[in-house]
This record gives sequence, C-alpha cells and structure tokens, in this order.
Amino acid sequence: MPPVARWPVVRWTGAGTLLLLLLAFPLVFTQPHPRHVVITIFLFAMLAQAWNLLAGYCGQISLGHAVFFGAGAYTSTLLGKYFDLSPWIGMVVGAVVAVAVSQLIGYPVFRLRGHYFAIATIAVGEIVNTLMINWDWAGGARGLFVPIKRPDSLANLQFHQSKQNYYYIALGLLLLAFWITRKVEVSRMGYYLRAIREDQDAAASLGIPVAAYKQRAMALSAALTALGGSFYAQYILFIDPDSVFPTALSILICLVAVLGGIGTLWGPLIGAAILIPLGEWTRIYFGGTGKAVDLLIYGALIMLVSVIQPGGIMALAQRGRRRTG
Amino acid sequence: MRRAIGLLSLALSAVLATASMSHAQAPKEVVIGAIYPLSGNLAQIGIDSITAMRMAVELYNGKSDLNLPGMKKTTEGLPGLGGAKIRLIVVDHQGKPDVGQAEAERLITQEKVTALIGAVFSSVSATTSQVAERYGVPHMNGESSSPTLTERGFKWFFRTSPHDGHFTLAMFEFLKDFEKKKGVKLKTVGLMHEDTLFGADSGKVQEELAKKYGYEVVVNMAYRAKTTSLDAEVGKLKAAAPDVFLPTSYTSDAVLYIKTAKTLEYVPRMLIAQNAGWVDPQFVAEMNKDIEGHITRSPFALDLQAKKPLIRQVNELFKKQKDNPGGRDISEAPARALTAFTVLVDAINRARSTSPEEIRKALVATNVPADQLLMPWTGVRFDEKGQNSGVRAILQQIQKGAYATVWPFDLAAADVIYPLPGFKDKK
Amino acid sequence: MTAEVLVQGLVSGLLMGFVYALIAAGLSLIFGLMEIVNFAHGEFLMGAMFATFWAWALLKLDPLVSLPLTVLLLALFGLLVYHGLIRWILGAPMLAQIFATFGLAIFLRAAAQALWGADFRLVKGPLVDGRISLAGIFIGLPQLVASVGALCAFGLLYWFIRKTETGLALQATSQDRQAAMLMGIDTQRMFALGWAIGAACVGAAGALLAMFFYIFPDVGATFALLAYVAVALGGFGNVPATLLAGVIVGIVEVLGGLLIAPALKYAVVFSLYLVVVLWRPQGLLGRF
Repeated sequence: MPPVARWPVVRWTGAGTLLLLLLAFPLVFTQPHPRHVVITIFLFAMLAQAWNLLAGYCGQISLGHAVFFGAGAYTSTLLGKYFDLSPWIGMVVGAVVAVAVSQLIGYPVFRLRGHYFAIATIAVGEIVNTLMINWDWAGGARGLFVPIKRPDSLANLQFHQSKQNYYYIALGLLLLAFWITRKVEVSRMGYYLRAIREDQDAAASLGIPVAAYKQRAMALSAALTALGGSFYAQYILFIDPDSVFPTALSILICLVAVLGGIGTLWGPLIGAAILIPLGEWTRIYFGGTGKAVDLLIYGALIMLVSVIQPGGIMALAQRGRRRTG
Repeated sequence: MRRAIGLLSLALSAVLATASMSHAQAPKEVVIGAIYPLSGNLAQIGIDSITAMRMAVELYNGKSDLNLPGMKKTTEGLPGLGGAKIRLIVVDHQGKPDVGQAEAERLITQEKVTALIGAVFSSVSATTSQVAERYGVPHMNGESSSPTLTERGFKWFFRTSPHDGHFTLAMFEFLKDFEKKKGVKLKTVGLMHEDTLFGADSGKVQEELAKKYGYEVVVNMAYRAKTTSLDAEVGKLKAAAPDVFLPTSYTSDAVLYIKTAKTLEYVPRMLIAQNAGWVDPQFVAEMNKDIEGHITRSPFALDLQAKKPLIRQVNELFKKQKDNPGGRDISEAPARALTAFTVLVDAINRARSTSPEEIRKALVATNVPADQLLMPWTGVRFDEKGQNSGVRAILQQIQKGAYATVWPFDLAAADVIYPLPGFKDKK
Repeated sequence: MTAEVLVQGLVSGLLMGFVYALIAAGLSLIFGLMEIVNFAHGEFLMGAMFATFWAWALLKLDPLVSLPLTVLLLALFGLLVYHGLIRWILGAPMLAQIFATFGLAIFLRAAAQALWGADFRLVKGPLVDGRISLAGIFIGLPQLVASVGALCAFGLLYWFIRKTETGLALQATSQDRQAAMLMGIDTQRMFALGWAIGAACVGAAGALLAMFFYIFPDVGATFALLAYVAVALGGFGNVPATLLAGVIVGIVEVLGGLLIAPALKYAVVFSLYLVVVLWRPQGLLGRF
C-alpha cells in the first residue's frame, strides 16, 4: 500500500491545541453572533469534508450535493412534525434516506465522466428542488416550521437560551467527519478511491471494483451531508426548498472545499474558516447600502484566490513536498 | 461597626440604583434594527422602504407638522423619551432565512436594538420573528403576506398590514359585489402563481376561497419564478378559458406574462392580480396600455390623495429624498414600511421607555386613527395575535395608465371597466 | 388540450429554442477548446442585455441596430476575461476553474446591481414589435427575428469554423492541443479567440433577447442553467449539436408545461437530459 503520511508528533500537538481552543471558544466568546459564525464554519467544514470524500478523494465532482443536505433536513423535520419522532432518530433516518437516494442517483449517473457527471448532478439537484417546491405534504414552497419545544433539551435537539450546546454538537459532527475521512484516507478504501480518481480505467484493469467503491464513497458522503442537514433544521427551526435544496448551496459547499484544498484532510476546515467569516464580514460592513458592495468584494476575492493559488490553501502549504492527500 | 458598613452599603446601592435608573430614564437614542432585502430580485423594494424609513427618522428627530402617528410635534426627538433621537441600523438579509436569523440576533445582542422591523419576505420574517420572540424584543412587520406569521401565538410580533387572507377575501367580495351591481355572472376562475413562498401562499388561499364562494377553478398552476418563458402557461390559460384570471407574480414575471399574452392573444374577461408586480409603479409605466383594465388588490392607493392630503404631503417629501434620485412616487412597499415604522415609533414614544415590556404594552394598546394613516384602513389596532384588525384591502384598476380605486364601492374613485379590452382595442 | 394549443406551444418552444441554442453555442465552443465550463455565462448574457439597453436608452439605438456593437463589446469583454482571469487558471484542476468563473459570476451580478440598481429595465417600442398569424398560430415578431438572428449567427459560426483558416486552427486546437502546437498554431491565441467568439455569441443572443425580455442583474441565471443542459445534451465541444439540443430544450420546456404541469417543466427538461445522457453518456452528438 502506498504510504500515507502518519502524523508526526508535531501535527498531533497542533491538532490537539486547536481542538482545545475550539472547545474553549464558547466559554470565552459568549455573545451569540461570534458563536453563530463558528457554528456555521463547523457546519460548512463538515459539509465540505463530506463532499471532499466523493470529489476530492474519489474524483467525482458532484455539484448537486444539496440534495443530501435537504434530504436530511426534511426527513428529520417531517418525522418530528408528523410523528413526533426525536430529531436524533430523525437524523439517523435522514442519513439512511440520503444513502438510499445516493445509491439511486449513483447507479445511473456514475456511468458519466467529468463535466457530464457534474452537469448531471446539477440536473438531479434541480429536479429534486422543483419536486420539493411542489410537494404540498412536505410544505412545498411555504416551507416547514420545526415544532418549537420548550424547555431546551438535548433530547429534542433544541436550545433557545444559548447557542452553546449547538456549538458543541456542531463541533462533534465536524470531528466525526474528520475521523471518518481520516479513517478512509489510511484504509484500503482510500487507496482504491485515489486510484479511481487518478485513472478510472487503469484502476478497473487492476481489478478494483470501481462502480462499487464509487457508490460507497457516495453513500458515506451522502450520510454525512444529511447529518448536517438535520442539524441545520434544528438550528434554524425553519426550512424551505430555497434554503436547503438550491444549486447555489451545492456550489458553496464545493467552493469551501476547493478554497481550502480539495482532496486534503484539513482543506475543508481551512476553506470554511476563510469563506464563511468573509461572507459575514462583507455583508455586515458593506451590505446595508443596497449597492451589493459586499457581494462585489466576495466575488473579487474568490477570483483572486483562484488565480493566486488554484490548488487551494493546502497546496500552498504543501508546495515543495510530494502531495500525499 | 457592622451597622455602619450595612448603612453605608445601603446608601451606596441606593445611589447606584438611582444613578442607573436615571440613566435608563433618559436614553440619548433609540436604536431600531431594520432587516430588509437589499440585494437580489426584490432589492428595489428594500431600498425604497429604507428610504421611506430614513425619511421618517429625520422627521421624528426634528420638528414636523405631518399628521403621522407621533410625528406632529414642535420639539426635536421623541418627547416621551426626553428628546431621544432615533438611530436606524439597516441590514440586508439577502432573501435568506438563516441570514435573517443571524442578523436579528446580532442586532439584538450586539447592537442592542430596542426593536426590529422587517423583513418583507415571509420566509425571512418567520425566522427573525422567532429570534425576537426568544429574546423578548418587539418585532414590527409591515409587508409580509403569509397568514401563518400571526398564527403562531407569538407575543412580540406585530403586523400592521393585511395578509393574503384579507386580500384574497377582498377579491372575492369584490367579485360578488360586482356581479350583483352589474348583473353579470362569472363562473370560472383560473389561478397562476409563482412558486416561491409568496405565490404558494397566495395560490392556496385563492383556491380555498374560490371554492367557498362557489367559483369553479378550471386551472390552477404554479410556475417557476423568473422563468424564461410563459408560453406553456398562457397556452394552458387559453385552453381553459376562465372568466376571471388571478395571477400572482413579481414584476419581472408579470412583464413576461403580459408580453406573452399579447403575442398569443389571451385576454380573460377580468384579471385580478395579487399585488407585487402589478403595483410596481415602474411596471405600470412600462406596460402602459397593455395592462389597461387590469385590477389588483392593493394595500395602498396613491390616488386617494385627493381625499387625504396627508398622502400627497408624504409623497412630495418622498420624491425629494436623495436616495430616490428618480423622484419616484411612493409606492405601496415603502408606504407600508413607513406605516409600520411610524406605528412602532409612536408606540415607543407612548411607552416612555425603551424597556421591551413597556413597548410591548404600548403596542398592544395601539389605536391609531384612520386620518393619521397613509393607508385606506380604519385604523391600527392589534388583535390578540398581533395582527392589525383595522385593515382594509382595496382593489384598484389601471385606467388610462394610472391606478384608480374601484372597490370598495364607497371609496371608489372610478367605475370598473369590464370586460377587459382586447389588445387591439387598446389605443 | 387541443391540437391548436399544442402546435402553438411547439412553435413557441422552437423559436425560444433557437435562442437557447445561441447562448449555449458560446459555452460549447469554449469548453471544446480548453475544457473549461464558464459559470459566468449567464452574467455575460446579462451584460449583453444591459449593453443593448443602454445603447437604446442613451443613444436611442434599437436593439437590432446596436446588435453589431453589442457583439463587438462582448467579444472584447471575452478577451478581457480571458487575459485577466482564465489565462491564469488554464492548468488548474477543474474545481479551481469552476471556482474562478463562479467568483466572476458573483462579481458581475453584484457590479450590475451596484451600477444600475436592482430594478428591471425594458426596451420600449423596439423596431420589431407585434406579431403575425400563420394559419391561426401566433408568432411574436421579436421572437421570430430573434430565432432568425440566432440561426444566422449559427450559420456564421459554422462557416467560420469550417471554412476559414483561423476557424480550422481553432478546431485543430480543440481536437488535439499538442498536435496543434506542433503544427505551429499559437494555442494561447486560439484560446483567447475562442473566448472572444463565445462571448460574441452570447452578445448576439443578449441583444436579440433584449427586444422582448426584461433586463435585470439576475436575469442570466435560468438561461445559463438551460444552456449548460443544452451543451451537455448536444455534446460538449460540438457546436452544431447545441443547435439541435437548444431546440429540444425549448420544445420540451413548452410541451412539458402544457402536458404535465408548468411548475414541473424544468424538471421535465432536466429529466430528459438525464435520460439521454444515460443512454449516450457523451451527449447526442458528443465526441469521446
């Protein structure tokens, strides 16, 4: 098996310190808004990490990942609304639904390659978005309110007094995504996925069951994304097709991963840590004028970054070293 | 010794208490947070609304003799708060409920706003009002049309404007009144609505009421907002040929509809629109004779300024605002925003305090008379759900390029043109 | 649903399809040359429409009259985008390229709002207005002229690619970059040219659309989506195929709306795309 770098002591210490800082963050910053920004960073880092599994490690560029996000959000919310099911169970069911959907989509769509595959994922995303807008039982365009339950409780995954618990749950989900990605990275599955990414036909000729592993990567990716969706629903307490299914969301997820460094373990977190605060900052300081100055800056910065270091931030960091991710 | 210390601390706390009390009793400013769409498709509505509100802020902070709620005074600032001035913080929610939620929270916890106002989009108002409810901060709403917003049992959410239920009711009441008055029988209706929250809500209420009032719904279609073509939709309308056509569209789609209908020669006998595109003054200016005879529900009627000079006075001021370089007339969106804003500020003034509970009580006790309103309502009085019960929807018809109020008949400035003139009949 | 309504729908869809095809043509050309999907294509269209509008509002030029101007303007803009942005990401992974053009899209949309506001604009009283009636079928004159214009543009493009030396060089670069380089073709110049022509096509489409469509910063979004599908349906890199694909998209859109439901018409278009592409992964007439 080709070597995937085992983490040196330095990396472990660095990661450990970061984790401690993140754990301590809400104790220092008690205002809701900074916590909200970091929660959003965690959420997008996690979504990007999930997407990374399929796109970065396996090379299948999906631009319709919002389908899984929405699947998770809607499943847990509908189950909670109509059957009074706990959101935790709803989350798991949501992941299962997402996996099922992913396999259904993957089976035909994985026959396509490159840009055809990408556009096909957009098409699927748009179809699902349209169907959800017109599905009245699931709220349609009017969306769904997550039934408000008081008092705050972990069992109901709803907290109104403070964001602290949301913060730790989001961090937990991110750590889960990290752990799974790392496990895949150093396993045989990771090896197969990378082989498929580099040259699908060569991999097949070596006896790697290409279709099966693509489906597995897709399933894992979908499940994680769906967990994020359920969390989002419990956090915002209102979902509609426009907030959980649009193509724009799919693109945003992949932007985060690309900025940070696709196919790397830390890329998604770095990407989220830059893009999310950037979006917030530009909107807060420039957004009130109606002149869309914030979006102007946002777009310009994205272009600048893509030109200066197309490989993402991680590529900058790894320049001169053989890429192992 | 212990007694001395005890007395001293008592005295100290008394001093501190009075100091903080007096500090709270005379705030230097009242901060209000406005969450509006300032980018994207409906940005112009947001921009105009903010312009109207800023205009009001200037008037409140100075002296004015405009007869808007709480505005007629000879002193600067809010008299009930010792002359405190209003500071408006404006944020853009970009049409996204999660952004609205984050901004509402930031405004409350970091900018320490006394009250919120917003957000036009019902989907965003849904989340901002949740935040307000959670923190116990008054939230005023002047434009969102989804009935659900005041059906959630919230204590802190107040809406001055009518919602879809009122508007659609008005449409059907009008139809019944009209049939009676003119001796005409209208049997079928056709519904077409865009597929965002606004259209979906409208379509649902229209379908329910149509059945209740005994009309047959021969076609009921949702269409993709900002679609590239409405050929299929108009084709279906022609095939179904309803007597009355009820569209719900924003401006851009409305334009496309008119042009497509013109090309395909589709003219229903009567068209009653659900506001939005049809009350956009630019729409009327651009479409001109092609929309002669179109009726729309409207919360606001500029032509009533003949009977109510207040409207003309406000409009003149609005046209001169520097954020309104084209000198446009005030349209219904900024008019509604202005109304909601003035009701809110008046309540804060009456509360004589920036304490949320006091303001809330003042809001509950609101009783603004009709002559202080730009709107053709009977007044502003909030029911136990926070909905203004004094609302009145009116219907206007485009006649000779301008809106004319045609219903209720006792308010009407003109007679109803019926049936809709065909495209070639229009001069 | 009478036959008359269906035939009317077919005709309307066909006409609109030609316009979709023209928008898609530029996209297809660019991709065929350098395997980059331009995610700012919708914004190029929007820019062309605004250019046409301002030519009308400020210089009193009718869209048809200002069309050559708009085409030239967009071609120059395409060159600018190539030299300013695309050139630097040629070797980057596909994702970074998406990133770059997506950033451009956000930037252009915001710029349009910052410069011209969010209100919609309309060209009033264009030269071409009204409609004709053929055997009971109504055809809007602006739509007819737009489709004829689109067809002409396609014809021109086809002639250019197949019959001129530069066009052949372009084709060669698109088919095999290395071989073209070996033959002495300046691939950089070809790329820039490709962007210029691709943008010019969109420029023409925008000018034609501006005759009857409303104009505002977000207007390019849905058109772009349909264009991507048309390009993939026809086959990436095959420009004549996009004509066929565009027409198919236009017709399916209307028929889907009439026969199934207007709310689902785009879902029908995308579903059709998926069905075709699963049967023929490289698109109807695609290369590999």
